[in-house]
Amino acid sequence: MESKPLVVVGAGVAGTAAAIEAAKAGVQVTLIDENPIGMSMMGLDIPQFFGQRIMGALRNKAVMLERVVAANDALAEAEGAGVDVRLGTYVWGAFRNTETSRALDGPQLGLADDEHSWVISYDRLIVAAGSRDLGMSFAGWNMAGAMGANGAHLLMSRYQALTSRRMVVMGSGNLGLNTARMAQDRGVEVAAVVDVSSSVRGDEALMTGLQRGGAKLYTSHTVKEAAGKADGIESVVLVEIDDDNEPVAGSEKVIAADTVCLAIGLAPNVELLSLLDCDLTFKSELGGYAPEHDDWMRTSVDTVFVAGDAAGFHDGMVLDPEIARNQGRLAGIAAAESLGAIDNAEALARRSDIRSSAVAATPAEVHTGWKKWLRSLVNAGGLGIFACPCEEVTRADLLDLRPPRYLEWESEQMSRRNLRTLLEDDPVNPNQVKRLTRVGTGHCQGRRCREQVSLLLAEESSADIAEIPLMTYRAPVRPLPLKVMWPHEEKEQMRRDWVKWFTP
Amino acid sequence: MPIDSAEVVVIGGGVSGLSSAYFLAKAGKDVVVVEKGTVGSEASGRNGGMISERVDEPLLVPMAVGSLKIWATLDDELGYPTEFTQHGRLQVAIREEQVGEVFSERDGALAHGISIEMPDPSEMRDMIPGISEETLVGVFFPNGGHANPQRTVQAFAWAFQDMEGRLYQNTAVTGMKVVGGRVSSVETSAGAIETEMVVSAAGPQTGLMAEMAGVHVPVAPARVEMLATAPLDPLFKIALVGNGLYGRQAARGNLLFGGGPHEWIDVGLTTDPSKPNTPLIRNIARRLAELLPGAADVPVIRSWAGVVEQSPDYLPIIDILDWPSNYVVVTASAHGFGLAPATGKAVSDLVLHGESSIDISGLGLGRFADVGPDWREERGWIPAPERP
Ligand SMILES: Cc1cc2nc3c(=O)[nH]c(=O)nc-3n(C[C@H](O)[C@H](O)[C@H](O)COP(=O)(O)OP(=O)(O)OC[C@H]3O[C@@H](n4cnc5c(N)ncnc54)[C@H](O)[C@@H]3O)c2cc1C
Repeated sequence: MESKPLVVVGAGVAGTAAAIEAAKAGVQVTLIDENPIGMSMMGLDIPQFFGQRIMGALRNKAVMLERVVAANDALAEAEGAGVDVRLGTYVWGAFRNTETSRALDGPQLGLADDEHSWVISYDRLIVAAGSRDLGMSFAGWNMAGAMGANGAHLLMSRYQALTSRRMVVMGSGNLGLNTARMAQDRGVEVAAVVDVSSSVRGDEALMTGLQRGGAKLYTSHTVKEAAGKADGIESVVLVEIDDDNEPVAGSEKVIAADTVCLAIGLAPNVELLSLLDCDLTFKSELGGYAPEHDDWMRTSVDTVFVAGDAAGFHDGMVLDPEIARNQGRLAGIAAAESLGAIDNAEALARRSDIRSSAVAATPAEVHTGWKKWLRSLVNAGGLGIFACPCEEVTRADLLDLRPPRYLEWESEQMSRRNLRTLLEDDPVNPNQVKRLTRVGTGHCQGRRCREQVSLLLAEESSADIAEIPLMTYRAPVRPLPLKVMWPHEEKEQMRRDWVKWFTP
Repeated sequence: MPIDSAEVVVIGGGVSGLSSAYFLAKAGKDVVVVEKGTVGSEASGRNGGMISERVDEPLLVPMAVGSLKIWATLDDELGYPTEFTQHGRLQVAIREEQVGEVFSERDGALAHGISIEMPDPSEMRDMIPGISEETLVGVFFPNGGHANPQRTVQAFAWAFQDMEGRLYQNTAVTGMKVVGGRVSSVETSAGAIETEMVVSAAGPQTGLMAEMAGVHVPVAPARVEMLATAPLDPLFKIALVGNGLYGRQAARGNLLFGGGPHEWIDVGLTTDPSKPNTPLIRNIARRLAELLPGAADVPVIRSWAGVVEQSPDYLPIIDILDWPSNYVVVTASAHGFGLAPATGKAVSDLVLHGESSIDISGLGLGRFADVGPDWREERGWIPAPERP
């Protein structure tokens, strides 16, 4: 098994900065990023909500690799600093010993490309795995053309493979406005920016620029539905909402568009941190469950550091990449120090130009806004819409705690049970709700439905959203075919020791 | 001040405890169930869902057969779906060294008068589309089946509540008050519950629970792993065993398979043991691809682990004790899901009549009278504590 002193996961702003700092401090660094992602994974909307508006060129891995490298100057800088850069490599698992799992030689990562998988061990890990698209459903959101801001961003920047022509953007925070600007810059027409709030949430000047480019702003509006045909969305219906988030009769606007970009918010990508059992705390201002870390970006697990969106995302970070970069630098310096490559004085010197205000802004909570979006979408679109598109579980199915349709189960007893009666017995447990309704159990393992499900559970139980536990992540956090998971290096010993079940 | 009192307090909201509670409530008893997490949050909601006649363990055959009888009409009885299907169980060998196991299952079945068939390889390929071309032999048990673990636990819990049973979730048992050779009340994180009878169905915590009542019940907890693939079109409803794995295709289409080495662990009384996976899931994936080459392209989307407990002879303990005289021990010793309906019936019989209508002879605690407190260390299952 390969063994690495320091592995950095994610070659975005934070990850490259971390890798470069650590390499400069003399550490042998391995920087891993899954881009370019295989076409089949992208088609499943994993890890981001890509929405199927993807150029066929993406099938050519070599071309994509070139584009991904060309789009990221920091990669060249990292390589120049001696970092071992591994692209097109998924990190699908993270394993370490706990009280109930003591057999590993040390902490390990499960890696894979599209053909095979392997495991490496490490001394220190920096998770700079970015953020995850937030899903909020409306009629038609499971058609091609509905995508998330991160998905759109990746397709535009790293892949240059977005085929959208006319886009409606949901969300007028900097996330939405910046995505819209990128789209305009690349010749995609931005038809509308929509928000449930009564005024623009992000940078005014940015909005004015978008309007000059032809975008219309719809505040106090929500999306009622997207309509289209087999090859995807063709139009989007907006509707005005009143103070109670109810649609205003007769206020519908039909907008021709082939794309709806969900840019309401992002959630920190904590899947690997969750597998490693790092302490995660609900912090609305950082997008939900985010890792606890000290001011050197070290998590509760002392071999693991975080940086960038994965440490917590807020809208201010969209226009200010310095925050993620500084976090990355801190993590890189701290990891180098903890490996003994530099001493504490040297570490302090290297971080001396980083002001603490440049790392931790004071962002505002986001869930009130997300709740308003969800309320308006429910009021305008109803409960019959899939909350979980993988498993085709509607919001009503969730609230009724309805066994999946394929069971064809009806009984008087079952009809008296629903989410509310379950919640009367018991504080909310999303894992239990998941196993009963199958919400979040599909291909994407809840990537697109987690926030919506948590918001619905909170609303139904009159609980604070912060009280809803995290729906657990498990390996593999990327879907890998059995033949890819296959351990080619398996030792004969494994077969000799194998038991089906306990044998006395 | 006690927070409640009941004729029977069942400790543990796993499938054994809830099945027991259900049958007791059905028989008219006033029953409380205390569970430290939510129902089925431990092994009972995390297992393979396999239900068989257990011809590999002669002592379990009567219970297993009795259990299948209850399973057959369980959904209608409870009023909630368990996803029970009874399309048989097939055990195959795809390598020479696995053939012996198949024959020993066959011989076990013949010895107990359990009906079986010996399909030839081409028949097996029809029964399990995509199965290995190398399949050598197989034994088919027409009465085997499987069900959905979490749905089953929830069905028992709801049916129990429908009969006025009281369920305390997120409530941990922290102590026991023994007066005059009887447990008079069970102390929980929410307060004391007075009772005339205790049923301990605390899974891996069975030993710790018994200790509080002053009894030694030897059980060894262990962590085991499973994985799930993305859904496939319906291929087979048969419960499948082979190549070192056991598993099934769920009603939704996912392949759910487990197997491989386990790890002996320690657990705390009131905490949830951590249940991480290890890179072992790759070895499981490989064995599944070897067993079902037709499914080699299907992605694995999830894995998980669960904690089961084993007694020194790897068999369940179901017994009403002599001291404290109102204490029933139920530990399923890792066979507990398929057996659960019979377990519940047997426990309810023990409480009501002092003996079970289903044959549980050989499963009493007395057989371990000579097992000392350090038996796990002596067997090398867990490291011996360091002595100064
Ligand atoms: C991966 C896996 C696969 C398996 N496959 C199969 C299979 O295919 N077929 C089969 O028949 N069996 C299988 N088993 C075994 C089966 O799951 C168990 O035997 C069965 O679930 C045991 O049920 P139980 O109710 O006795 O124990 P548990 O499910 O462990 O329930 C015990 C309960 O007691 C609670 N508890 C413990 N301490 C306290 C306390 N202090 N206070 C309150 N509550 C407490 C726990 O929280 C727990 O919920 C498998 C197990 C695993 C883990």
